[in-house]
Amino acid sequence: MDYKYIEQLLERYFEAETTLKEEQILKAFFEQNEEELPENLRRYHSLFAALGQEETLGDDFDERLLQMTEEAPRVKARTISMAERLKPLFRAAAVVAILLTLSNALNQSFNDNDTWVDQSDYALEQIEPAAGEPAMAYDQPTDSLVSDTLFKPTGYLE
Amino acid sequence: MKEISFRTDVLPLKNELFRLALRITLNRADAEDVVQETLIKVWNRREQWEQIDSMEAFCMTICRNMALDRQKRMDYQNASLDDVGHEAPDRSYSANPEEQAVQRDKVERVRRLMDQLPEKQRTCMQLRDVEGKSYKEIADVMNITEQQVKVNIFRARQTIKQKYIEQEQYGL
Repeated sequence: MDYKYIEQLLERYFEAETTLKEEQILKAFFEQNEEELPENLRRYHSLFAALGQEETLGDDFDERLLQMTEEAPRVKARTISMAERLKPLFRAAAVVAILLTLSNALNQSFNDNDTWVDQSDYALEQIEPAAGEPAMAYDQPTDSLVSDTLFKPTGYLE
Repeated sequence: MKEISFRTDVLPLKNELFRLALRITLNRADAEDVVQETLIKVWNRREQWEQIDSMEAFCMTICRNMALDRQKRMDYQNASLDDVGHEAPDRSYSANPEEQAVQRDKVERVRRLMDQLPEKQRTCMQLRDVEGKSYKEIADVMNITEQQVKVNIFRARQTIKQKYIEQEQYGL
């Protein structure tokens, strides 16, 4: 088997000319059994084995740290979506909308009732010329009286 | 916008940070303390998380600085040299089965060679050869140029190779 490529890579590795990918190839190559390697490459086996050694921390470290960062649930609360966050606002908006519709509807019905007031205003206008100008009132005393008495029972002027 | 969660984005970095701290402090207990302090510090800065490009690089930078601080304090106490000698063999025998003792011993020797490198070379080599980081990522973490990273890695590999071959020849 030809190990020229590996030898070349090794040479470039020690010159710091290899790419990350090439270094991975080297690591993978030296992962195989030491006895299967040719004599001249065998010595580098433990070198790359040392690089592959990975010390780790236990799970108890996680637990201890999560306990220390007690407020962790608060981070969770931050993940609430925009729509959810605006929910109360939507509700308030809905209530306002209902109130507006209702008041509009009420106004509408009030306005319907107001038509008779408009008519009385018209009656007042009919009287006023007589009441406002005494000369005319003298001339037409009965008319003004009649319209006055006619109007009075409604009680609107009083 | 990506939400960052401590549990899923920060905590899983612990082993990588631990190995980085271990290369600097050369002591498991110290390294574990450094990682803990680092993660707490990162947690306390959670308001700034959204402005951070790479959480990994951010954590690594903090971790390295804290490990260096601790190392400096330790040096004042003049306790480091002996610790290194005792720590290393302990690790290999307690963590591994007996049958591979010879092989483990060799690996341990390489580890010790690495530990003897200057801190910058050691950290560069750790980040490149163990963690598989690009020159740029290493430069960001260590706050040096990519060229300097490359030089450090070159020197580290050369030294390791040289010393390793020397050891083999003398059968140490």
